Amino acid sequence: MSAGALTSDATAARARRRFGAAGLITPATLLVVLILLLPLLLLFRYSLNRFEPGQFMVEALTVENYVNLVTDSYYRNVMLTTLWVAASCTLICIVAGFPAAYVLARARSRWKSILLLAVVLPLFVGNAVRAAGWMVLLGNRGVLNSSLTWLGVIEQPVQIMYTPLAVVIGITAVNLPFVVLTMQSVIESIDRALEEAALSLGAGPVRTFFKVTLPLAMPGVIAGTILSFILGMNAYATPVLLGGPQFQMMAPTVYKRIVEQANWPFGAALAFLLMAVTLILSTVSHLLVQRHYRRTMARAEPAH
Amino acid sequence: MTIPRRVLWSAALKGAAGLAFAFMLLPLALVIWLAFFRGEIIVFPPEGYSLHWFASIWEKRQFVDGFVTSLQVGLFAMVGGLVLGIPASFALARTVFRGQEALNTLLLLPLVVPGIVIGTSLYIYFVEVEIATELQMNASLPGLALAHIMITIPWVVKLIVANLLGVKREIEEAAMTLGANRWRTLTRVTLPLIRPGVVAAALFSFVVSFSNLEISLFLVGPGRLTLPIAIMQYLEWKLDPSIAAVSVVQIAIVAAGMLITDRFVRLSQVV
Repeated sequence: MSAGALTSDATAARARRRFGAAGLITPATLLVVLILLLPLLLLFRYSLNRFEPGQFMVEALTVENYVNLVTDSYYRNVMLTTLWVAASCTLICIVAGFPAAYVLARARSRWKSILLLAVVLPLFVGNAVRAAGWMVLLGNRGVLNSSLTWLGVIEQPVQIMYTPLAVVIGITAVNLPFVVLTMQSVIESIDRALEEAALSLGAGPVRTFFKVTLPLAMPGVIAGTILSFILGMNAYATPVLLGGPQFQMMAPTVYKRIVEQANWPFGAALAFLLMAVTLILSTVSHLLVQRHYRRTMARAEPAH
Repeated sequence: MTIPRRVLWSAALKGAAGLAFAFMLLPLALVIWLAFFRGEIIVFPPEGYSLHWFASIWEKRQFVDGFVTSLQVGLFAMVGGLVLGIPASFALARTVFRGQEALNTLLLLPLVVPGIVIGTSLYIYFVEVEIATELQMNASLPGLALAHIMITIPWVVKLIVANLLGVKREIEEAAMTLGANRWRTLTRVTLPLIRPGVVAAALFSFVVSFSNLEISLFLVGPGRLTLPIAIMQYLEWKLDPSIAAVSVVQIAIVAAGMLITDRFVRLSQVV
């Protein structure tokens, strides 16, 4: 057999395999293109149209919807509310989540599965159901107000439901499992011997935590921060149920514009902004975490 | 005798962690508690306990219908996700081709784009498809099923690819050397080896679909609600033990799905 025949055989095999791969991956790709990418393109195109009250949508190529998002004080307020709610929830999630992630990462096998289930279960029980739980606690005749009245601490129920505080509590509880899981996977990979070394060299446990564990866990903290911020910005059920009709965040506003008011161009612009910020933050998170790992690796390399 | 600082610090960490766990589980515990209250007017402490709210679920049509719709959509999502996702995972994990990285990113995209944005764009898109083809897409089972299959694909691909990368090529090559053809190697060697991943992907697809709210929100209509949407709409109006009982059913189904998944793969590797 000549060398030429061998190569052509190999080429044929490679070609067959390539077509095989194409056949395997095409159906899933087609679905994502047809049901995700095309709709998103359409959404973007419509965000450049004009909304005329009384005649639905007018074909146009204008950025006025995007300009309105920033110049209209109503929408500016919606965006500012969304940003500060997402930011406060994220801060609480990181501070409250780190010890939980640490304990989870260092737990022994049996305990670990139980704790993991305790984190994962709330994650997949709908946000509406969890909001119902907070209503039971925070309502005017809820557990908290009833107990405080019975104890004689307050005479009139304190209004917590339908305040920003209720929304922050609700979204924090929704995001916390995601943040804990993200940070625990990083902490899990930190070699315990490093902490042991710091301790045996005379650093106290607190100092070891802040000088060794926390810096090594930074990729997890960064990823958790950005994930929580993204989830907070896109929250729908929690602000609607716990914030009430007066409380406006971006995701419920998108729904109202599109479905209730049929203002597609404006709703599309708002949705597109939400997606753009989300995708940019995801990419930044990815790059930051990678850069952090590269730097740590570079420092760990022995000097030549 | 003084307590060593290391013990104190460890106790402080565990205490803080305990608070965070309690915070995550508290709303679920409260909903479950409420489902057993006897009276319809919620007072604390309750007048008494009863199971009759669970029986009353059957009288509320929107929850029964919503449950059936969610079940149907969940099964479509599960089967569709596996049928499309498993072959795609083989292409990603077992072959090398140009543009592989880009396709991988594309298939994981449904996980990155916010649900509310997917819902908005699909709603608009389906209206245009309806105008063009006169097929009903919004507020229909096919529309919901297509959207839900799409969102399960990243989960299936993530799980199966991770599983396939863990299977040594040598085992498959040994089967081939011993005379098994490609199909036999696939069905007798590779698929049994990735069975945990397939089971986990199936259960996860179902749970992801069953608990979805943000995308379904746009695609439901009168007479065609999913369970989470029916719960959401009821809660916007009022809170009573009957909605808590419905929620308990949802919690139980999700918990069962999670417990079974946990037997096949480590949950921490999935989420």
